[in-house]
Amino acid sequence: MLASVASATLLGVDGQPVTVEVHVSNGLPSYTVVGLPDTAIRESRERVRAAILSAGLEWPQRRITVNLAPGGVRKHGAGLDLAVALGILVATETLPPEAVRRTAALGELGLDGTVRPVPGTIALVDTLARAGVDRVVVPTGNAAEAALVASVCVRAAGDLASLCTCLADDVDWPDWPAPVAGPDGAGDPGAPPDDDEVDLAEVRGLAWARRALETAAAGGHHLLLAGPPGAGKTMLARRLPTILPELTPTDALAVTRIHSAAGRAPVGGLATRRPFRSPHHSVSVAALIGGGSSRVTPGEVTLAHRGALFLDELGEFPPSALEALRQPLEERVVRISRQADALTFPADFQLVACTNPCPCGLGPPWCTCTDAQRARYRRRLSAPLLDRFDLRVAVQPPEPGAPPGESSAVVRERVQAAVARQHARYCDHPFARNAHVPARALAELVPLSPDATDAWLGESDLRRLTGRGAARIHRVARTLADLDDTPEIGAAHVALASMLREDVP
Amino acid sequence: MTAAADATGPVPGHSPASVPPLTDDQVAVVALAGLETLGHRRIRLLCAHYPGPAAAARGIVAGTARAVLAPTFGTAHAHLLDPCCARWSRDLDLAATRSTLEQRAARVWLGNSPGFPVTEPLPDLPVALVAEGARADALDRPRVAIVGTRTATPHGLADAHDLAATLAAAGVTVVSGLALGIDGAAHAGVVAVGGTTIGVVATGLDVEYPRRHRRLYADVRAHGLVLGETGYGVGPTPWRFPIRNRIIAALADVVVVVEATRTGGARITAEHALRYDRAVFAVPGSRRNPAAAGTNALIADGAHPLTDWDEVLLALGMTPGARRTPPLRPVPDPVGRAVLAALGGEPASPEQLAARTRLDPETVALALTTLTRTGWITMHQGVVWPS
Ligand SMILES: [Zn+2]
Repeated sequence: MLASVASATLLGVDGQPVTVEVHVSNGLPSYTVVGLPDTAIRESRERVRAAILSAGLEWPQRRITVNLAPGGVRKHGAGLDLAVALGILVATETLPPEAVRRTAALGELGLDGTVRPVPGTIALVDTLARAGVDRVVVPTGNAAEAALVASVCVRAAGDLASLCTCLADDVDWPDWPAPVAGPDGAGDPGAPPDDDEVDLAEVRGLAWARRALETAAAGGHHLLLAGPPGAGKTMLARRLPTILPELTPTDALAVTRIHSAAGRAPVGGLATRRPFRSPHHSVSVAALIGGGSSRVTPGEVTLAHRGALFLDELGEFPPSALEALRQPLEERVVRISRQADALTFPADFQLVACTNPCPCGLGPPWCTCTDAQRARYRRRLSAPLLDRFDLRVAVQPPEPGAPPGESSAVVRERVQAAVARQHARYCDHPFARNAHVPARALAELVPLSPDATDAWLGESDLRRLTGRGAARIHRVARTLADLDDTPEIGAAHVALASMLREDVP
Repeated sequence: MTAAADATGPVPGHSPASVPPLTDDQVAVVALAGLETLGHRRIRLLCAHYPGPAAAARGIVAGTARAVLAPTFGTAHAHLLDPCCARWSRDLDLAATRSTLEQRAARVWLGNSPGFPVTEPLPDLPVALVAEGARADALDRPRVAIVGTRTATPHGLADAHDLAATLAAAGVTVVSGLALGIDGAAHAGVVAVGGTTIGVVATGLDVEYPRRHRRLYADVRAHGLVLGETGYGVGPTPWRFPIRNRIIAALADVVVVVEATRTGGARITAEHALRYDRAVFAVPGSRRNPAAAGTNALIADGAHPLTDWDEVLLALGMTPGARRTPPLRPVPDPVGRAVLAALGGEPASPEQLAARTRLDPETVALALTTLTRTGWITMHQGVVWPS
């Protein structure tokens, strides 16, 4: 007899609906899976069989064929176990077919019949809801996450035996525990890299670089800090998460979805902070951009979606990795094609990087490098990549006795207000931050005051700005004005924006 | 070895008629100087042994030079003697050298002949000097060498340019090495006021090194001479640069070091100058500036600290000209004055200026923009330099 149960598999960070068809017929006992399964799915027989027996149910000593449709999509992981088990139970008439009608099942099975969590629940449930499923059975541990998708009825399953009882009568569904948020968003993608709570108040001096950091946070600009070792640039950059604006509800869902698909669901259910990813310079191109040999997984640029990607010691990253960053920086999505799959992952991140100022490490004004050495260094860092930074700041060690700066809370309040102003200004547009305003829309959307126009022409004249560089300074000037809560961009904003984009390194 | 020279063709700005015909000795000495690894010491040894360069060249071809040169190889390199002699004998091409010299309208001065640019019997002098350029009269004027590091700061470059322009305007020929950094700025300063200058090079005169200075080579040729002791076709060889510096020191009446690192070639030039009993000036710099470490050390060793360009003219026995008035600049507003005061004549980052003036970044940025436009400061790699 034939049974079919809806389920889903992950394709990158998105779900792909899968129909699990189980056919049980007379013949020599056997178990065959067809439809592009991976190794984990091929090995499902042992888990499914042990779980069914542990639940006190009957394992059919007959010929079992499992077909995973559509056949052209590669299926990954053990998340289809539960759907296969339910399919077998329906096919052997242990469960009535109505029990799984318009119902999808997600979950890995333990040998004792427990239903174990799977990665990417939110993406999978979202996909199933769009595919017209009314009810999704998920592991108890994923239920809170699944419930973030409002348009579908979520049912939790702790173990196979009780699930069968609930399904048969559609009553007594278990509750699931409320998500336990850790202290201050621990487990969030944007949580501080170590347990120590950090704050901008600990950074002495560096007024200029601090202003650049605040501007980057407020406008979504890419930021490069160039300075000698010990100048405090890394210390400053690591405090960016403490001043990043709140996630909007839509962004929170998008971030949660990505991190869940990567197997790192936020403890609190929904992500509350913007991601802050800081891969080491030994990171592979695949880990940075996305990819992988057996299954395409999102890279750091996608994990940093709607947040920040921090690259310390930019010059230490392999040139291939820096080169690979250009496409996602340009398009804010990352395109990966591998074998038959061509995938697009979201990658709308802001890039924050630190670098030595030059090969001698002293930096201006007392750098001892020749022009040729500096030019070689810039080539290594990739000139087109350096061009993408709206903010490029030379960081000098603070002078003795420099006072501590404002606390993160104070700065974040200004950032939040500046973000609100941008949202209001761009509500009718497909972008929300100053950094994303297209060059052709700048004059109309963010006009310069007459004063600023004069300053502007002067700067263009002095620095022989190219069109692209001019547009970047224009956008930063707008963010500076937003932080000042002034409707018009003033001459001082243009002057500072221009000075925050120096030719460093 | 003269292929490059033949391809270059005549050098512009020359009137071949003004160059006297070349003797066999003059051609031979340039041909010898074009042999790789022969070097100025061995050439001097050969010329002392034979009646003159032409005879020395014949000795190379005939093989009799082998015995003369054998002691210079020592026991460690004795096995190289025969291969070297064979190569020198093969590479020596007097006819090609003569045609190159004639085509390029080059001048050759032998060390023992009248007209040699250095009249004192200094140790280590080149056996001969080769020169190309439109202004042989550059040698007839008082000569001041301006040398320094290739990795100069904007202040160092500005000082070299300004000093060279001041001296050139007073009728002094500025001697330097056509290198990047201070050398280049000094030559450029002369060219800017139409003075005379001499570029002393360590390569063959047909090899323009560094390539970035090709335009400057042409300018120096038009405003003076490019000069050296190396034969045609010899490319940049590391050991030739420091020994070239002794020619700069020998040619100059006064040597000024503008910015020098502790170990750079400009220190070597200054040491040669002291050995040749030339007056040595050094421009003092900040103790934080690695490009001033060498000049400050020279001052500690007894070089004159140079703070007023006129002192160089006085050292030459010349009368300083009328004081040039500094360019008129609009008086800055109070914020601009505060920023300039915070700068204190030294380079500083905008951030340091904001910290010192306790002004917010926007205010400082606007002041810096205005000060840049009115010529009070220049911005370079994110650092503010007072002009
Ligand atoms: Zn350097």
